[in-house]
Amino acid sequence: MKRRAFLKSMAAGGLAASVAGTAGMMLPKEAAGAKKIDIGEIKGVKIDVLTETSWFDNDQFKKDIMDYGGAMTNQYTIPWKWDNAGGYATLITVTTLDGQERKFMMDFGWNTEWMDYIYEEKSDVASLISKDEIEFWVLSHWHLDHFWGVESTLKRKQDITLYAPATYYPEDMALLKEKAHHKAKDKETGEMMHICKNDYPHTGKLVLCDEKGEKGEGIYRLMPGVAVKYYDVPILLRVRGENVLYFNVKDKGIVTVTGCCHPGVLSLFSYARKNFAGYKPYGCYGGLHISLFETWEPKFDDIIKGVKAFKIQKLGCNHCTGWIWAEKAAAAGIPVVKGTNKYKSYKKTSTVAKASNVFLTNGDTVVF
Amino acid sequence: MAEETYPHKFNYFFGFLNLAGVFVIVWFLWYVFMNPNTVMKLYTPMYGFALVVVFISGILAMSNVCRLPDIYGSQVKTVNPVVKGIVLTVVAFFLMIFINYILFWGFIGKFGVAYFSPDSIVISGGTGAEPYVARENASTAIVYFFAVFLWMVLFWDLGFGRWPWQANSLGVRVWSKMFVILFFVIFFYTILFHPHVCYLFYPAQDKAGVAPWWEEMAGTGSAFFSLGLILCTLVWIVFSSVLWEGRPWNKLEEKNEPNFSKGFVVFVTTLTLGIILLFVLLQIFTSIWGEPFVGGQYTDGPDWRYIHGAEVAGFFLLAAFIWKNYFNNFPNIKSVWGRCVIRSIIAMALGMLIYWFYFSPLATFFLAKVEGFAQPGDTPLVWTLLFLSIILIQSDFFDGWPLKRGKNKEIG
Repeated sequence: MKRRAFLKSMAAGGLAASVAGTAGMMLPKEAAGAKKIDIGEIKGVKIDVLTETSWFDNDQFKKDIMDYGGAMTNQYTIPWKWDNAGGYATLITVTTLDGQERKFMMDFGWNTEWMDYIYEEKSDVASLISKDEIEFWVLSHWHLDHFWGVESTLKRKQDITLYAPATYYPEDMALLKEKAHHKAKDKETGEMMHICKNDYPHTGKLVLCDEKGEKGEGIYRLMPGVAVKYYDVPILLRVRGENVLYFNVKDKGIVTVTGCCHPGVLSLFSYARKNFAGYKPYGCYGGLHISLFETWEPKFDDIIKGVKAFKIQKLGCNHCTGWIWAEKAAAAGIPVVKGTNKYKSYKKTSTVAKASNVFLTNGDTVVF
Repeated sequence: MAEETYPHKFNYFFGFLNLAGVFVIVWFLWYVFMNPNTVMKLYTPMYGFALVVVFISGILAMSNVCRLPDIYGSQVKTVNPVVKGIVLTVVAFFLMIFINYILFWGFIGKFGVAYFSPDSIVISGGTGAEPYVARENASTAIVYFFAVFLWMVLFWDLGFGRWPWQANSLGVRVWSKMFVILFFVIFFYTILFHPHVCYLFYPAQDKAGVAPWWEEMAGTGSAFFSLGLILCTLVWIVFSSVLWEGRPWNKLEEKNEPNFSKGFVVFVTTLTLGIILLFVLLQIFTSIWGEPFVGGQYTDGPDWRYIHGAEVAGFFLLAAFIWKNYFNNFPNIKSVWGRCVIRSIIAMALGMLIYWFYFSPLATFFLAKVEGFAQPGDTPLVWTLLFLSIILIQSDFFDGWPLKRGKNKEIG
C-alpha cells in the first residue's frame, strides 16, 4: 500500500481503516523477475529419520537452559544432563534422473553413546560409512544436539567431506579439529562437568558455507537438483547461522530439508520462489522450530495460515517443531505426513510423544 | 523531569563525559544482571525485560505521578542531591521488587489473574506449564501491562497535566491521577494485550480472552502490533515534552493550565502520528528486508516488523532524553520552530546511531548479544529502557548531579 493510499484511507475511514490498509503488505507476493538459478532436477528423495529426539525430557532440557541464563546463554557453559541427551541426524538418499541412488547425511547428533546405538543397532549407517557409501555430510548448524555427537561419525571415518556454516565459534572448531574435551561448571557443586568431546579430529575437506555461496550464487550445489543454502540468522544459545537443503524433484517441485529450520519454513520457500527457476512448492522435512518447548504463541497460528497460503503439499516434521503445533496444523488441514510407532522400539523415547503420530520420528521414512 | 538552572554556561564536553559515565554504569548493570554469561543472567529475555519495565515505571510513578523528588526537596531543608538520589533510587528498587514479586506474582497472580504469577501457571498444569515457560509468560503479561502504564503516564503529563484537580491539594492530585491512570492502563491493556496473553497457553484461554482481534489487519496475532503502536506514539509524546518544550499542545491551554480539550487532542493526535510513524517504519523495513508475510519468521515475520518498529521508536526516545540531559537540548536558538525541528532531526540521527551500535559487533562485545537481526530472545528495548532508567534517575532523583545543579521545582 502506497503512502498516499494509506493517508487517503485514514481520511476516509479513520484510524482503524488506515491500519487495516497496511494488511495488504502482509500477503505473500510473487517476487520481481530477478535472475533465477537453475539447480537442476532429481527423480526423488528419501529421508530416513535416524534420530530426531535431541533430548528426551523436555522439562529437564528447559530447566538446564533456565538455570544457566536462558535463551542467549553460551551452550558450552551449561552442564547439560548427559542422560537426557540424544541427537538429531538424518540419512538422505537421492534418486537422480538416471535412476542412480546417492546418499549423504545431515548432522551428527549429540550424545555419542546414543549415536553409536543409532548407527549400529537401529540403522545401517555404521556399515554405510565403513563401505564409503555416504558421499558427504551437511551440518545444519552448530547447536549441541546437531553437532556434539560428531565423534560417533569421525571415529568411523575422519576424512569426511563436510559442509558447515562459516559462523562457528572457537569451541566448535576445537571440537571438530583439535581433540577438544569441553567441560562446564555446575553452579551448585562447582564441579567441572563433561559436556562433549571428540578424540578423532576431522581431516577431510571442510566447506564453510556463507551467504555468498559458490560463485556468488547464494547456494552451494551438492549434485544436480540438490543445493545447500546458508542463512545468517542469530539462534538460541549463542549460535549463529543455519544450512538448509533444497531439492528440486521433477514434476513435483521444491522440497526443503532442515535441521531446525531457524530461518522459518516459509522464509525458505520465499527464498526459493524469488531465486529458483521454475519454482513450485512441494514439501518440507525436518525440525521446523516452532513450538519446540511445547508452548504456544499467537504467531504459531500465523505459521499455520502461512503454510496454507504457500500451498505446501507434503509436510514432514519432528524435533523442534513441537507436537502441539503439528497437531494443530494437521487439524487445520495442512497435509502433515504421519509417523509410525517404530520409535517405541527404541531404548529411549521422548516425554512429549503422542499417539497422534504427527511427527515423523525415530525409524520413520518419508519419500518426496 | 525537573527543570534545571545553570549557574554557568553549559559545558558540552562535560555533558559528553557524563553520558560516557552513564553508558559505563548501564554496561556494568547489564554485565551483572542481564549478560547471559555472567552473574544474574536475568535476560531470559522476558524475565529481565519485565524487571526493567517495572523499574522504569516505578521511577516515572515516583517522579511524574507522586512527585516524590519534589516532595523530598520540600521536606528537607538543605537538599544534598547525592543523598536524595541514593534514597530515591533505593525506594525505586524496592518498589520494583514489591510490584513484580509481591503485587503481581504474589497477590494479583495468586488471587485474581493466574497468568501474572508463574506459580499459578505451574499449578494450573497442562502442556508447557513448567517453571521456565511460566515465568516467561507471566513476565510477558507484566511487560505489556507496564508498557501501557508508560504510555499513560507520559501522555497524561503532556496532555492533562494537573487537570482536573489543579485546585485540589497535592494528596488529592497524586491519588486521583494514579487511580485514573491505572483505570486507563487496565482498559487499554485489556483491549491491546490481554487477548495475546490468553493465547500464550495451549489450549488457548478463549473464555477469558478473545482471539487477537487485530490478527486480520495486522497479519499477525502477536501483540507486538500493539507494542509497536504504543512505542511509536510515545515518540511524539516524548519529543513534544522533551524536545519541543510542550509545543504545540500548550497553545490549547487556558491560563497555563491544561484542560480536557488539550488532553483529548493530544491523545488523538499523538496516536495518529504514532500510527503514521509505524507505517513509515514498516515501509522502510519492507524496502530493506522485502515484503513480510503471514507466518514468516525472523525478519520476514509481520510480528517482528512491529516489534522492530517499537525498538526503533525506543532508540528515538533514548536519543531524545540523551540530547536533553547531556547536550542541553542544543540548539537553544531564538526561533521556536527552528530549535524544535533541529533537535528532532538530531534526536532521530542519534537514535539511528544507537541503532547501529546495537546491531553492530560492538553490542556483541558489550552486551554479549548474538550478531544479527531478529534474534529470538533479544529485543533492544530492554537495554534501551535500562539506559533510560539510569538517565531518569540521574535527572529526577540526583537533580542531574554531577552535570547540573538542580533547583527544587514547585510541586505541581
